[in-house]
Amino acid sequence: MMEKLYLIARIADTRVALRSRAINSVVTVGTPVHVPAAPPHVAGLFALRSRVFTLIDPHVVIGLPPTAVAPGQRVIVVDVADHGYALLADAIEDVCFIDAPETRVTGRLLPGWARVADAMIEHEGASLLVVDPSHFITLPVARAA
Amino acid sequence: MDDLLNDFLAETAEILAEAGGALVAWEADPADRAGLDAIFRLVHTIKGSSGFLSLPRVTALSHAAEDALDQVRRGNRAADAALVTAVLAIVDRLSSLCAALGNSGKEPQGDDSDVIGALVAVDQGPAAPAVPAEPVAALTDEDINAELQSWRSIRVPLPLLDSVMTGVTDIVLARNEFARLLRESGADASVIASFDRLSDSIAGMRQSVSQMRMQRIDKLFSPLPRIVRDLAQDFGKKVRFSTSGGEVELDREMMENIRDPLIHIVRNAIDHGIEPLDERVAAGKGIHASIDVSARQSGNQIEIVVRDDGRGLSPDALVAKAISARVIGAAEAKTLTPREKLELIFRPGFSTAAKITAISGRGVGMDIVKANLEKIGGVVELRNEEGRGLTIVLRVPMTLTIISGLMVRASGQYFAIPRGSVREILLETSDSVRIDRVGGGELATVRGEQFPLLRLEHVLGCTVDDSEDQDDRAIILVRPGQGHSYALSVAAIHDHEELVIKPAAPMIMATGLYAGTTLPDNGRPVLLLDVQGLLAAAGVDASEAGRIHDASAEAAAEAAAARDAAQLLLFREAGGRTRGVRLSVIERVEEVPASALFESAGAVKAQIGTEIFPVHAAMVPAGPEAVKLLRLHDGQSVLCYPIAAVIDIVRLPDAVQLASAPGLIAGVVLIGGEPVELIDPFWLMAQYGTGQAAPLLRQPLCRLSDDADGWATNFLAPILRGAGYRVVSGDETADGERPDVQLCLVDEQSAPVAADVPLVRLRSSVAATGPDDDSIYRYDRGALLEALRTRVAGAGS
Repeated sequence: MMEKLYLIARIADTRVALRSRAINSVVTVGTPVHVPAAPPHVAGLFALRSRVFTLIDPHVVIGLPPTAVAPGQRVIVVDVADHGYALLADAIEDVCFIDAPETRVTGRLLPGWARVADAMIEHEGASLLVVDPSHFITLPVARAA
Repeated sequence: MDDLLNDFLAETAEILAEAGGALVAWEADPADRAGLDAIFRLVHTIKGSSGFLSLPRVTALSHAAEDALDQVRRGNRAADAALVTAVLAIVDRLSSLCAALGNSGKEPQGDDSDVIGALVAVDQGPAAPAVPAEPVAALTDEDINAELQSWRSIRVPLPLLDSVMTGVTDIVLARNEFARLLRESGADASVIASFDRLSDSIAGMRQSVSQMRMQRIDKLFSPLPRIVRDLAQDFGKKVRFSTSGGEVELDREMMENIRDPLIHIVRNAIDHGIEPLDERVAAGKGIHASIDVSARQSGNQIEIVVRDDGRGLSPDALVAKAISARVIGAAEAKTLTPREKLELIFRPGFSTAAKITAISGRGVGMDIVKANLEKIGGVVELRNEEGRGLTIVLRVPMTLTIISGLMVRASGQYFAIPRGSVREILLETSDSVRIDRVGGGELATVRGEQFPLLRLEHVLGCTVDDSEDQDDRAIILVRPGQGHSYALSVAAIHDHEELVIKPAAPMIMATGLYAGTTLPDNGRPVLLLDVQGLLAAAGVDASEAGRIHDASAEAAAEAAAARDAAQLLLFREAGGRTRGVRLSVIERVEEVPASALFESAGAVKAQIGTEIFPVHAAMVPAGPEAVKLLRLHDGQSVLCYPIAAVIDIVRLPDAVQLASAPGLIAGVVLIGGEPVELIDPFWLMAQYGTGQAAPLLRQPLCRLSDDADGWATNFLAPILRGAGYRVVSGDETADGERPDVQLCLVDEQSAPVAADVPLVRLRSSVAATGPDDDSIYRYDRGALLEALRTRVAGAGS
């Protein structure tokens, strides 16, 4: 059943579905600690239960201008390669079972989204992109260079 | 039962690894009793625990090895290579049995008579021991069990340790939150006091938990001697192997990650690095190659260096191989720098061996080594001297290790700097600092020494916060490595804390500016600065060479000034009189409770810590409060001089009115127009000279023969020890050492007496029995010590 459980959230101004097994938790953050000279999508560091997490701004990954972190904003905590990250979410909508199968991405996406989207899924009469949070951790090579 | 078995397997695996290394070390030096005893103890432990778990094969094997080693300990058998090989075979069999046990939970059926037989066959060898080990009293089981007590420990799964660590850090964070709330609510003083107590114990607990994860790097080194020995034998190479720095401590988890890469590098060194014997001879090298593994802590990193004196790497051969292995194309090869050529060995699919050997070519290449190290934030560095050897340096961060960090502020944010690389901290406004702008760069001159100046905000690309108080700006003299130093300017110094460092996310580490993150007590993450990386980012040459300036001249001038100006410590005595003593003879000023002073044998003594020192006082001072003591030190002994208070430290005037007769007062000087009596430390020390025996290079060994009623041990031995002798009694031997002199009581003629050792005979009666009686009355201390002295001196000449 876990495979069918999705987190529906608004990330970088877009409603997406995230596979729940990729997600550690959803928490709120205070003011993050700025990391000077870090890549632009690193929005800062914050501590949660004595672990330090790196806050990622998905807007930058997608190719949008960065957003400011509002105190109390909700973030999606994920573990990638033994490091803890948190994706800034504009809004967390729901956690729900979606019985519909994941389908291949149809149509042409913006390059930023094409890189992070794995599939599409039908939910309550809308098509959602299924994104892999680990794709948000690294910037596209061309941009990083 | 499963838990017992698991514990046994974990313990045995550790013991076997240790035993392998210890055996090889002992083979190199068979006279090393301590080494032999250690191996014996290890095998004995396995035998003991396997018997308890009813593992007959393990018991039989360990028993056979224990037996053979015991024969050696008793001197019935020689320690030779054949024996060591046979014991190593048993160690191997035990390892494979344990592996099978771990998989199936049962001891597999099988026959071990081959390896046990080999051990016995060796036994039939020449009867005359090549190295006659002196037979000594063997350790009994009780002795061994008693020794086991001293290193008792329990095994704890790593995840449990981690969860304890996380738990404690959580408690610390919760405590801080609580402390803040307490302050804001204006709580009762008693509540705050008991909260502080809680706080202190939490801090202590955090400290211990962090230490629990640390392990000596010895553990990592222990299997290496065995690996080196076996490989060297396989290849017919002769290798001298040494390790150093085993006391460096490293996080357990880190250790796990370095183990395989390290073993691989050592294997490579023997297989590829060390030349065959004839090649070594042709190259004019000794037949014995050397491989040296050392560890040291350097700032916030641990450096492990593997050095061999083999043929080194040949850049051109590497390129040729890389082309033939299709790792690179011929065109690419032409563009490589010498360094890049060497680093070809880190490319996937590259193997330096002409043929893949069974040992090195196990599908693990240097590419895997490098990847594994990078995974934990480490780096591999090559230092190649073609034809003369290769040094591989592994640098790993001390993640999860505790370091002492200095907290600094820049552009309104806190950063941590490893305390170990901080040489000095100065305020920018301090008189001893001069800052110059030179051609766009900045230079800090501190007491004549010049340092390139980096401003932390600039290096990090932040703006300087104008609201900060410019008077707070501080300069930190940083020495990231040997021969390099620079000045780092920060907005303010905060404090220093013990920090738990964890690696930051890869993209943050990739900036090269940070060495990790840490969570100090306020719960806000702080970045640990990479002091080496800052330098690289600033692109500044921080080499100390060539910028000595006039530092040496200044130092010489300072030293000369110091020589001329002896300093005087002024103090007030209990009587109110002001006296002075040269500062240089004072070790320190000690404040002790009056109860620490006591009278003994007509002299006043002071107990400080665990030591007792003479005090210059006629009587124990009255009064309940604490006493201040000046500790005078002449390089060997200490004398305490009670004072009421320290007044000042002044320059000793040149004009001293000397006292007419030697005594406590050496003379009088005028300080600020007032006469001050000068204490004569020479005279003082002479009064309280402890009359110690002259320090001897080697303390003579004195044997007390036969001591049935314990008189010699209880009455005589303390006198002898006080006079600088080492004492053994009866059958004890100090590692088989021949005594220099022996003592026996005339009345007890049964005592065994070694013929070739000078003898002093003691009698109980005051009077001698006749003119030929050379014995000494046993309570005649002077005569006894004199007799011992002449006998020992006679034997030595």
